[in-house]
Amino acid sequence: MDEQLSFEEGLNRLEKIVQTLETGGLTLEEALSLFEEGMHLAKICSERLDAAELKISQLQTAFEEAIENKGESPC
Amino acid sequence: MKIYSVAEVTGYLRELLETDSLLADLWISGEVSNLSESAAGHLYFTLKDEASQLRCVLFRRGRLALPLEGGVAVVAHGRISIYEVAGTLQFYVDLVQPEGIGILHLEFERLKAKLEEEGLFDVARKRGLPPFPRRIGVVTSPTGAVFSDIANIISRRYPLVELVLSPTPVQGDGASEGIVQAFEALNETEGIDLVILARGGGSLEELWAFNEERVARAIFSSKAPVISGVGHDTDFTIADFVADLRAPTPSAAAELAVPHRSELESRIQSHRRSLLAALWGEISQRRSGVDYMAGRLKSLSPDVDRYRQRIEELTKLASMHLGSFLAINREKLRSQQMQLSTLSPIATLSRGYAQVQHSTTWEVISRIAQVHRGDVIDVRVSDGQFKGKVTGLRKGLQAWMSNFPSKKG
Repeated sequence: MDEQLSFEEGLNRLEKIVQTLETGGLTLEEALSLFEEGMHLAKICSERLDAAELKISQLQTAFEEAIENKGESPC
Repeated sequence: MKIYSVAEVTGYLRELLETDSLLADLWISGEVSNLSESAAGHLYFTLKDEASQLRCVLFRRGRLALPLEGGVAVVAHGRISIYEVAGTLQFYVDLVQPEGIGILHLEFERLKAKLEEEGLFDVARKRGLPPFPRRIGVVTSPTGAVFSDIANIISRRYPLVELVLSPTPVQGDGASEGIVQAFEALNETEGIDLVILARGGGSLEELWAFNEERVARAIFSSKAPVISGVGHDTDFTIADFVADLRAPTPSAAAELAVPHRSELESRIQSHRRSLLAALWGEISQRRSGVDYMAGRLKSLSPDVDRYRQRIEELTKLASMHLGSFLAINREKLRSQQMQLSTLSPIATLSRGYAQVQHSTTWEVISRIAQVHRGDVIDVRVSDGQFKGKVTGLRKGLQAWMSNFPSKKG
């Protein structure tokens, strides 16, 4: 699950887990396994933030072709 | 050659006028004269200057920024067409402003009022921004500092994003068309969940593209919500009014577009603490449950020490009782043995009595009738037995007693 999970999904799941744990009414086994999952998610989310690098791409528009052809700046 | 009807000519003229892009949307300045109002509420007047005049009509739904009266200098917006019934050229006015205001300002106010009326600025139609955008489209110039500023800010705050630059000129001829195309290109791009429309500061003229109607409509029809960040804090453009969120500057737009990583980190940290606290709660709740039950169990369970002591006491008591029981019984046994021994035939025999039995039938003889003269009898004494023969019989106890040797002698 870790690899496919987006940051947002991870954080949402983490929030849900915190909520569920805080609501209580679980068996100790359930609470422990949620706790472990939550800690794991917190780690993954932190790591995602640390490891991320902004990706930049550029669409090809008519304008972009025009300035490439002319080789001049628009403003 | 062909002969045309009047209607054909006026119709032709009308088509000619209405397909001309300049005449379809223009501002004309002049002085109001010959003002009249029809019963339906439409205003008819003439705009004139020193050289010429033009018939005008302002339908009731048109807007007046000032009370209209003869001699007032105004700037009117509308379109030129022909009123075929009268065969006259007419200026169909939709907005009248007092003269002296710059044309760009006039146009700004006109478009703003128009789009507002159409509902393009409705708060109800503003879309919420995604809390964690993944692909952000940026409509701006590929050159200049704006895009790299946006990229820097987003990279610092929330680098889990892909920025997709949709390049366009942002001023001059072709800027509004470029912006429209940039939006179209983003609409066709997969997964764009937010668009930033940005341009650095400039004069009203330089920012003009952002006040054009087609740009407003491009923003309005963008698939993803749009943040506008055009010019400086003090600049307001039509684009700002249409955008789902107006940021005062391009940098501010970038900041509004994404969450801040430090915020997220502290959120994650607080979740960690909550997890720990919740688990601790679960455990301590159970521990106190166990403690409570253990306490109850202790209070309910028998006091083993007490019982052990009791058992010891009982054992002691039992052994004591057993001892005396044995002693008593031993004593009883002895007396019974004694009693038994006095009752025993041997004891009787040793006192001089004898047991007499028939030597053939082994019948014990206790009465005289059991024997006859001549019977052989077995006589048992304390230390042996002997045989005898009955030689005489005498009935009665007296007879037996008289045989007893006298004790006197």
